[in-house]
Amino acid sequence: MHKVIRQMSQLRLQAPQGAALLRSADSSSISPAISPVSPPALQSKSLHTAASAGMLCAKWNKYNYGPRKWLEYNKTVHPPQETDEEPRNAYVCHMRSNIKYSPDKMWYIAAFVRGMSVDEALKQLNFVLKKGATDVKETILEAQQIAVERHNVEYKSNLWIAESFVGKGRVFKGVRRHARGRFGKVEYKHCHYFVRLEEGEPPQHYYQEPQTPEQQYESWMEQMRSRKIINSL
Amino acid sequence: MEKLASAKTCLKLLQVMPGVQQAALLPGGGLGVLASPLQNLIQMQQVRHRQTKHWKPEFKRLRKLKFVKMDLPNLREKQEDITKEEMRSRMKERGVLPPRPWMERPFHISCTGGIFEAYVPPEGDGKKSIISTSGAKQKLEFLEKKSKSLMAVRKIRSYDENFSSDDFGAEAQDIYIQAHTHMAAKDKYKIREFVSERCYPEMMHNVKDKTIRWKFLQSLEPPRVVHARVTEVITKENQFAQVTVRFHSQQMLAIYDRFGRLMHGSEIITKDVLEYVVFEKHISNEYGKWRLHDKIIPDWLPAKQPAPITYRLIEDAEEPPKELSAGDAEVKQVDSVGEQSKEQLPLATPVESHTKPSLAI
Repeated sequence: MHKVIRQMSQLRLQAPQGAALLRSADSSSISPAISPVSPPALQSKSLHTAASAGMLCAKWNKYNYGPRKWLEYNKTVHPPQETDEEPRNAYVCHMRSNIKYSPDKMWYIAAFVRGMSVDEALKQLNFVLKKGATDVKETILEAQQIAVERHNVEYKSNLWIAESFVGKGRVFKGVRRHARGRFGKVEYKHCHYFVRLEEGEPPQHYYQEPQTPEQQYESWMEQMRSRKIINSL
Repeated sequence: MEKLASAKTCLKLLQVMPGVQQAALLPGGGLGVLASPLQNLIQMQQVRHRQTKHWKPEFKRLRKLKFVKMDLPNLREKQEDITKEEMRSRMKERGVLPPRPWMERPFHISCTGGIFEAYVPPEGDGKKSIISTSGAKQKLEFLEKKSKSLMAVRKIRSYDENFSSDDFGAEAQDIYIQAHTHMAAKDKYKIREFVSERCYPEMMHNVKDKTIRWKFLQSLEPPRVVHARVTEVITKENQFAQVTVRFHSQQMLAIYDRFGRLMHGSEIITKDVLEYVVFEKHISNEYGKWRLHDKIIPDWLPAKQPAPITYRLIEDAEEPPKELSAGDAEVKQVDSVGEQSKEQLPLATPVESHTKPSLAI
């Protein structure tokens, strides 16, 4: 694959050199400089089509199911409860695989809606100025619908986002031309988005509860008392 | 990259529009003071440039030319969205031959696709006394319908010497109990011995994602064969027999959902159940067995108790799918069986004999 990439880049880099020569010869006139540029572009397009098809065929033919374990949690059947026990809250796991978006950027959206109620998350995602927010919103709507239709959830507004995280999907490597016969690598990244909706009200503090000054003082004192003083008796 | 940038700009404009609507919704008179800062905020957002802007815009076109264009496959496209010509051109590109247009598969017909000449239970069965006029009429009608069943029983006995309509009730009850017990236990391999292939998907679909507690307490009346029919499928020698048995029993049913919460029924309360169950056997097959095939739900039966869950009634569909999913297994089976019987009634009325039901293939 690398040999093919180098040959492609060398072939393409020869054409700009020719164009540069033409520009240096006729620096005064602009119109001759434009016309020589288009034929190399056509040639390069025709060249890379076959090569890219050859490259991508191997990728296409590989088995690519995406993650499969996350949706298996929907098949867990919990044992029946007694009448005096607290009823178990329903939960639904859902995902959307191979979204054409960077997982590093999608993480911000996933972390943003974590711990929100579903209605609040859908409201907030309308104002998130990122391309992946649309996919996240659609995934949450799908999960909400599945919860009501298949998992015996009574009210669709009585759900909150218990888990929301991003996985890496497929990465296609592209090529970008640099100077002096060199080339740079371009990564076209995909990501998977996973969400788990749980029934009930969202908790007051999804992450660690912020400590009051008294609690901070107590933990500091505990740490001070339990520390090891070296070079002591 | 430029496409992505333009897409981002469009997304930003689309996402800003709800804000505009909110500003428009505000009443102009009293809250006019509040509206202007909102509009300023909206204008500020609209003026915002994209984050990937380069500091030297005059070479934007040359920067674009640095990228070697490659056709990224759309990993999220669905098979049904691709047109035939597109699929054909892709297969040509990859050198894939089209699949064979014909498929050779062996057929094995082990049960029929429905009930032929379904039994119509008399109204108020199990409740009205013989002394009343309607009870007496039912007795007379029963005698009229019995002759055809007797001929069918004689036909069954010519294939199966041990068959007796008086003794078949107990055997049928045993099959019935075994089928429901294995259904509740989700034993999908053992249930095949007691349930025909037509009935199997309905039962297993009802059991999916649920826990069922079912118990057969006692039989209020001895099970009785009320109907029998024999028909052939494709050839004269391929005979199938269907026998309808009337059960009046006391049962306990409790259905829990995926999370162990009670959906329907109770483990304490017992219910009297009046059922007309159809059993089928491939009598031409030497090793054929009597298996539970279908249930007949009379129209006069009172409606089942709905599930306590709140559901939304979808007015477009004839029956809301939410109700089906929320209901219990019996109600689901009842509803589906009711539909099947309704569909078959117009088929059964024009043709009396030589009816060939649809095959469960």
